Amino acid sequence: MMTMRNLLLLAVALALLVIVPPFLGLGWQNMLVNVLIASLFALAFNLLIGQAGLLSFGHAAYFGVGAFAALHLMRAIEGGLPFPTPLVPLAGAAAGLLIGLIAGYFATMRSGVYFALVTLAIAELFHSLAPQLEGVFGGESGISSMRMPWNGIVFGSMLEVYYLTLAWVLVCGLALWAYTRTPFGRLTLALRDNEQRVRFLGYSAHTAKVIIFTVSAMLTAVAGSLQAISIETANYSLFASNVSAQVVLQTFVGGSTVFFGPVIGATAFTLFSFLVSDLTRSWVFYQGLIFVLVMLYVPTGIGGVIQHHIHNRRQLDWRNMAGHYVLAFVGALLLTAGVVFLTETVAVLFGEDYAMVRHNAEGGLPPFELFGASWNPTGLLTWLLPIVLLIGGGALLIRARRRISTIWDRKGPSNATATEPLLAGGAK
Amino acid sequence: MKRLAMIAATSAAALTASPLHAEPLKIGIIESLSGAQTSTGRLYANAVKYGVDRINEAGGFNGEPVVVTEYDNAGGAPDAADKFRNAVADGVDIIFQGASSAIAGQLTEDVRKHNLRNPGDEVIFINLGGEAMELTGEKCQFYHFRYTTTAPMRVNALVGAMKESGDLGTKVYSINQNYSWGQDMQAAAAAAAADGGYTVVDEVLHDVNKIQDFAPFVARISSAAPDTVFTGNWSNDLLLLMKAAGDAGLDVTFATAFLDQPGNIANAGKTAIGHYIANNYDNAATDGKFAEDYKTATGHYPIFVEGHSAFALGALQQALGTVDFGGGDIDVTKIALALENTTYETPLGPVSVRKEDHQTIRPVVVSKVVENPKYPADETNMGFETVKVIAGEDAIYPVQDSCKMERPAE
Repeated sequence: MMTMRNLLLLAVALALLVIVPPFLGLGWQNMLVNVLIASLFALAFNLLIGQAGLLSFGHAAYFGVGAFAALHLMRAIEGGLPFPTPLVPLAGAAAGLLIGLIAGYFATMRSGVYFALVTLAIAELFHSLAPQLEGVFGGESGISSMRMPWNGIVFGSMLEVYYLTLAWVLVCGLALWAYTRTPFGRLTLALRDNEQRVRFLGYSAHTAKVIIFTVSAMLTAVAGSLQAISIETANYSLFASNVSAQVVLQTFVGGSTVFFGPVIGATAFTLFSFLVSDLTRSWVFYQGLIFVLVMLYVPTGIGGVIQHHIHNRRQLDWRNMAGHYVLAFVGALLLTAGVVFLTETVAVLFGEDYAMVRHNAEGGLPPFELFGASWNPTGLLTWLLPIVLLIGGGALLIRARRRISTIWDRKGPSNATATEPLLAGGAK
Repeated sequence: MKRLAMIAATSAAALTASPLHAEPLKIGIIESLSGAQTSTGRLYANAVKYGVDRINEAGGFNGEPVVVTEYDNAGGAPDAADKFRNAVADGVDIIFQGASSAIAGQLTEDVRKHNLRNPGDEVIFINLGGEAMELTGEKCQFYHFRYTTTAPMRVNALVGAMKESGDLGTKVYSINQNYSWGQDMQAAAAAAAADGGYTVVDEVLHDVNKIQDFAPFVARISSAAPDTVFTGNWSNDLLLLMKAAGDAGLDVTFATAFLDQPGNIANAGKTAIGHYIANNYDNAATDGKFAEDYKTATGHYPIFVEGHSAFALGALQQALGTVDFGGGDIDVTKIALALENTTYETPLGPVSVRKEDHQTIRPVVVSKVVENPKYPADETNMGFETVKVIAGEDAIYPVQDSCKMERPAE
C-alpha cells in the first residue's frame, strides 16, 4: 500500500538524515545516534507487543547481550582479528538470535501477564549474574574496547559512527517493515487478535511465537551492539529494569499500533532527555507525567493519533476544526506552563540552595530567581500566575476538546482500521 | 536540496561562531543527579561548586570566571558516556565525578579515547570517589587523577589506629559486597594481617544491596567469634548489617569505610557507638576553620564526601595559579602537568599526586562513633571523634604493577 506520496516522504526523510548531520554540532550528532539506536530498539520491541500482542518487560536482556557480544568481537579486532568493523553488529545479531531462541522457547509457553513475568525474570537473571561473571561481563566496571579503522575509515569521529548506525538502523527497519507484509507477518497479527483461532487453523502457535520472539531479540541485540560501537563500553547496568521500562514507555507513547509509532516515541523521549535533563532536575517527573497523560487520554499514542487523522482527512471539516485545534494547542501550552512553573517553584523552595538563602536570611522567605525574574514566595503573583495558567489553560483545553469531539461525531462512524484509535479529544 | 544544505550550513555556523574574548576554563560535573544515588551525587556537586566559587572569588582563570555545568548521568555508565559527549560538545576541559567506581571506569576510558583521537583538545578527569584499584592499575592513564583513598589506604589506617588504641584484637572477620570494591577491601584486610598481628577467621562476599536480612550472616560472624569485623559495605548493606549485629547482641567492633554516609548514624542509633571508620576527612580532626568557611558558604558543615572533594578543587586552584595562558587558548595538558606538581595543604596535612599512577598521597582520618561529639551527625547526639590522623606517606601503598602510564611528550 506504499503510495507514491509515502515513498516521496520517506525519500525526503532519508535525504535529510544523510545530508543534515555534518552541519550539526557534536552534541546533536550524538543525540541523533541515540535516537537511531532507541528507534531500532523500540521497533524490535514493538514486533512483540504491537504485532504479536506479547508484552515483554525484559528486553534489556537482549539489548545487553548484543552490546557485550559486539564488544567481545571489537576486542578481538583490536587484538588483530581481520574482521570489518562495520559488520560488528552481526556478532550482536548472532548472540541475540541464540539467547532469544532459548529465552523465547520458555517465555512464549505462556501469554499475557505470565509471559511478561517470565521475560522480566530472564532480564533480572542477567542483571544479577553479570557482575559475578567477570570473564564475560567484566564485573561491575564492564568491558571496553576501541573502534578499529577499516578500509581507510577511522571510526574516530561521531559522524562516522552516525552513518554506520544509520545504515544498520535503516536496513533493520526496512527488514522489519517488510516482515510485517509477509504471510508470516500477517500470521503474527492473527496471533495477537485470536491465538486460539490460529491454532485451530493448523498452525503451531508456540513455534510461531518463538520465531517472532527470536527475531525481536535479534534486532534488539543489533541495537545493543550499535550502542556498544557508539560508546565503546558496556557494563551490567545495561540489563537493568529501567532499560526494559524505557523501551516500553517509548513504544506506548509513540503508539504500538502503528509501525512508525515506536520511532516517534523513541525520538520524542531521546530528544526530551537531551534538551531537558540538564536544565532541570525534575525532568524524570515530567517524563513520567507525559507517559501518564498519554496513557490516559491517547492510549494509541502519538503515532495512533496522527494515523487516525490521516485516515479521516477527507471526511473532516478541516476549515471548521483548525481553529479549535489551535485553541486546544494554546490551552495545552498554558497548562504546561502552569505545571512547569509550579514544579520548578516547589523545586526551588525545597532545594538546598534556597535552604541556604533562608539560613542567611534567618528563617525568612526571601525572593528567589526563576525564569529570569525574581519572585516573592509569599507574594500573590507567584501563586496567582500558575493558578491562572492552570485554570485558563484547562478551561480552554476542555472547551476546545468538546468542540472537536462534536465535529468528529458529526462525521459519522470512522472507516479507519480495525484498531480504532482514540482521538486526543476523546472522540468516543 | 542545495538550498536546504545552505540553510543548515549557515545556521550551524551561526551556532558555533563565538565572540572574541578570553577562553573560560570549563568544568563539567557528570554526577548521579537523579535516581538512587542522587543524595551522594548532590554532595559531590555541592563541593565542586563550592571550590569553583572560591576560584572565581579569587579572580577566576585566564581572565574569565570558571564555568561549571552539571550533567546528570542518572546513575548509569551508558548515560555517563552519553553525557561525556555532551560535555565535550560544550567544550568542557575538566570533568569531575565521584559516586560509583563503575561510572568512573567508564569516564576514564572515555577520556582516554577522546584524548587519543583529539590531540590538542584534551580533557582531564578528576575522580573524587571511584576507589576501585583498577582505576590506578590496569586503567591508569595520564589524564585521570584520583583525589580520594583506596581500600588498602583505609584498611591500613584502621589497622594502625585500632591496634594502637587496643580495639583491634587478634581475630578479624571480613564481610564485603561482592564486586571490585568489596573484593579490594577483603584483599586489603587479608594483606594487613601480618602487620596488624591478627588472623582473618573468615571472609564473606555477598550480593550488593539486595539482602534484606543479615541475620544469617551475623550468625556466621557470631560462630567465628571475631574481635573486629572489617567491612567496606555502604548504604543499606552497612546499615542492615550493623542493625542485625546489634539485634543479635554481637560484641564486636566494626571497622568501616562509609559509616559517615548521611543517615547512617541516625538509622543505626546506639548500635553505632564504638565503631570505627577510616575516611578522607572529618570535621573533628581539624581546627574547624575550613568547616566554618564551608558552612558560611553553603549553610551546613561539610559532611561525607564534601570535605575531600572541596580539597581537590583547592589543589586545582593552586595548580591553575602556576600556569598562565595570557587569555589565550587553554592547554589542558599543561594544567595536568601542573596538577602533578601540586602539593596542596589541607587542614589534615598535605595532598600530593603520585606521578606514576596519579593516585593522591593523602592523609587518612580514623574516627570512632561517640556520644556528644563536637560535630553531631544527622541531628543526633552522636558523631565522630578522631582517633588518629595517618599522614599521607604512611597511608600510601606501592604503585600497582599493572599501571603503565603513557605520558604526553613534553
